[in-house]
Amino acid sequence: MLAVLKAEDIGLVYESGLIFKRGHTVLRGINLELHEGRTLGLMGASGSGKSTLGRILAGQQRPTSGRVLFDGEDIWLMPRLERSAYKKQVQMVFQDPEGSLNPRKSIERSIHEVLGLLKVPALQWRSRTKEAFEMVGLSEDLLCRRPAQISGGQCQRVALARVLLLEPRVVILDEPTSALDISVQAQILNILRDLQTDLGLAYLLISHQPEVIGFMAHETIRLEGGEIV
Amino acid sequence: MVVTQNGAIEGETSAAIWKNRSWRVGFALFLSFLLMAIFAAEIAPYNPWTRFEPYQSPGSEHFLGTNDMGHDIFSELIYGSRASLLVGFGAAILATMIGTLVGLISGYFRGLTDEILMGITDVFLMIPQIPLIIVLSAFLRPSFYLIAIIMGLLWWTSTARVVRSKTLQVREMGYVEAARSLGFSDAHIVLTDVLPNILHVIMPKFLLAIASAMIAEASISFLGLGDMTMKSWGMMINFAFNRGGFINGYWWWYLTPGLCITLFVLCVVLMGCAFEEQENETMRLQ
Amino acid sequence: MTAILCPGRTILEVEGLTVGFETAAGLVKAAEDVCFSLRQGETLALVGETGCGKSVVASAIMKLLPRNASVRGHANFAGRDLLTLSEKEMAGIRGKDISIVFQNPSLSLNPIIRVVEQVAEPLQVHGCAQRRKSIETAEKMLERLELDSRESRMYPFQFSGGMNQRAMIATSMILTPKIIIADEPSHGLDSGLVDETMRVMMMIKEQIGSSLLLITHDLILAQRFSERMAVMYCGEIVENGKSEEIFAKPLHPYTRALLDCLPERGFHPIPGSSPSMINPPEGCKFRPRCQQARDRCMRKPQIVDGAAEDGDREVRCWLY
Repeated sequence: MLAVLKAEDIGLVYESGLIFKRGHTVLRGINLELHEGRTLGLMGASGSGKSTLGRILAGQQRPTSGRVLFDGEDIWLMPRLERSAYKKQVQMVFQDPEGSLNPRKSIERSIHEVLGLLKVPALQWRSRTKEAFEMVGLSEDLLCRRPAQISGGQCQRVALARVLLLEPRVVILDEPTSALDISVQAQILNILRDLQTDLGLAYLLISHQPEVIGFMAHETIRLEGGEIV
Repeated sequence: MVVTQNGAIEGETSAAIWKNRSWRVGFALFLSFLLMAIFAAEIAPYNPWTRFEPYQSPGSEHFLGTNDMGHDIFSELIYGSRASLLVGFGAAILATMIGTLVGLISGYFRGLTDEILMGITDVFLMIPQIPLIIVLSAFLRPSFYLIAIIMGLLWWTSTARVVRSKTLQVREMGYVEAARSLGFSDAHIVLTDVLPNILHVIMPKFLLAIASAMIAEASISFLGLGDMTMKSWGMMINFAFNRGGFINGYWWWYLTPGLCITLFVLCVVLMGCAFEEQENETMRLQ
Repeated sequence: MTAILCPGRTILEVEGLTVGFETAAGLVKAAEDVCFSLRQGETLALVGETGCGKSVVASAIMKLLPRNASVRGHANFAGRDLLTLSEKEMAGIRGKDISIVFQNPSLSLNPIIRVVEQVAEPLQVHGCAQRRKSIETAEKMLERLELDSRESRMYPFQFSGGMNQRAMIATSMILTPKIIIADEPSHGLDSGLVDETMRVMMMIKEQIGSSLLLITHDLILAQRFSERMAVMYCGEIVENGKSEEIFAKPLHPYTRALLDCLPERGFHPIPGSSPSMINPPEGCKFRPRCQQARDRCMRKPQIVDGAAEDGDREVRCWLY
């Protein structure tokens, strides 16, 4: 089966210094594949470059070497518009749930602005919001609240709803539940698994907890010192 | 607060600020001055350019007496608010707008843009502002409008610095990264995510800029370099000192405009402080 | 048999502790009728999810709550009810007899004062020792925490996270308090650091013979390091007893559901979401999410003795 997203020999080197450049290698020779409906688990100690790899795959950061192939095409060779379209198809869910939402915007506004971005006609906003909330198991009475007024688990679900509105094919989950309590963690993980089955999403699950990886991932790779071991 | 599960705590800055006493007092004063300026024609007993008997002491006909030209001082005071407020607001709005724009662009895009903009800011910071205004005023004898513009063009630097550092901070927040990841344009992110969160830094600076501008204008006018055609409070003090008000002890002439300036600056400062206090409260409640 | 493990007398007895906060949105019932006892030398874990009120309980005991809090009940320590003491009397107890180790220690240390001086400060403040002697005592304490004299003279900003943790623990324990309250000690730390911190804390606790009130949402941490455990839900204690036995045989439906959420047991989620503390459900607060809810659960259940072998279990549920 053709991989939706493929990383070919990805490397990232941070250079410092003006004249005598010193390189700090963050990632080296990374090869991985993400397939529809399957989860690839990415483990590694903190600082091993897991989040950076996630950002590279999402197109948010450019690697210094190697290629990122989406449906076989190198994303950095795509024209700008196509690359923007690609970025919408590969989304990220972050670790700090409350941090992913603007504290001054009501939940409703945070959702509606995504719908505005997608140029969905305003008449459909209410129904689309309802749909998205149903998918993640949230009730509509959260809409008028602010992120500080809802729990971490609910924030994470709102973030997930926003991502799902874009109808992505790949979701990169960067420690999605580490900041959450155990019961909420269980809820979110089950929702993620159900969504994968229903929508055929490809996941890259980054986590430092082996049990989380074990619960969701079909395959696992481990990152140590910037390389896959 | 960790304690409130699903509890709704409304810490809205806009509504709750009315509970703050500093704000209420400051705003009341501010509003009075504003009304005084707008409705000067209705409030003032006489036209400030009408001549009466000069050097009169305060009395029933002329509440604050008359000046050397026979103009009613009380009316001058009321009309004077227009000029002073105009310069104050004009300069502050211009300075704040330029400063915010520069700070936002610099802080959000970083890199080369940041370096260039900060370099320009440094150049402007080197310019001695009040002396330049004095020199320009001396040579050009500009109108109040021009003075306001010049002040605005010189004073944006500190706002730019402050806005830039706060933008740098907000830029690193999770929700900005999330917005970028979702595919929002930079313009959208800056306007809806960054700007509202730095507003609480801009507002006090804006209010204080009004105060600074007024004092600067008063200083220039006092030195006789201001606009002769419009009587600002500073101009009044100038005349008072130069035309025998101080020597003769006509305190109602030179003290009252000074008092007005002080009161206005006070109310502006009160509002600025109340704003900051309220912001801290909101942050704390969250 | 269990008598050998049973520690000495009770040093802290909390009865009927009820805390409410007046807010713009209404009265937040942060804690309701909380009762537990802490015995000498033991570790009691106060377990529950974020927002269940466990930190509020600790703050209430130490009288560190904000002004809009109303507190009722008793917290009997050394023959006195802490809740009735004046601020001056409490100041004498805080740090000396009861001390708190807060989460995120790096933020609690002043980065520009040497570590050894910060550790020595409580001694000076409470008038227990002069400067030179207090520094000596501080150095000895830091050595016990595996920070040698060279390191103790450094500044907190030169320390790693783990070292800061140890410095913070040293500061809390230097006056050999009878009770240590650890508020979410594992928060924001990776597992290696958590292990190290807990190990060090338990070691010092043994050495100075104090009791530990461990407040955490991490069930595994509670299981590993506490002898007894109290589970809180929405401001109430729903179950308390010996940790091992609660894990082996949880009685309250919430405890059972919570344990099922654990990764080891399969991440089975609890349906529904945590209730509001301003308008909690009528009767048993867990009722809307409980699989075994009955009509009688519309009335608030009282704490009863659970039918455990050693009789040391209490549950707040109509099932028992």
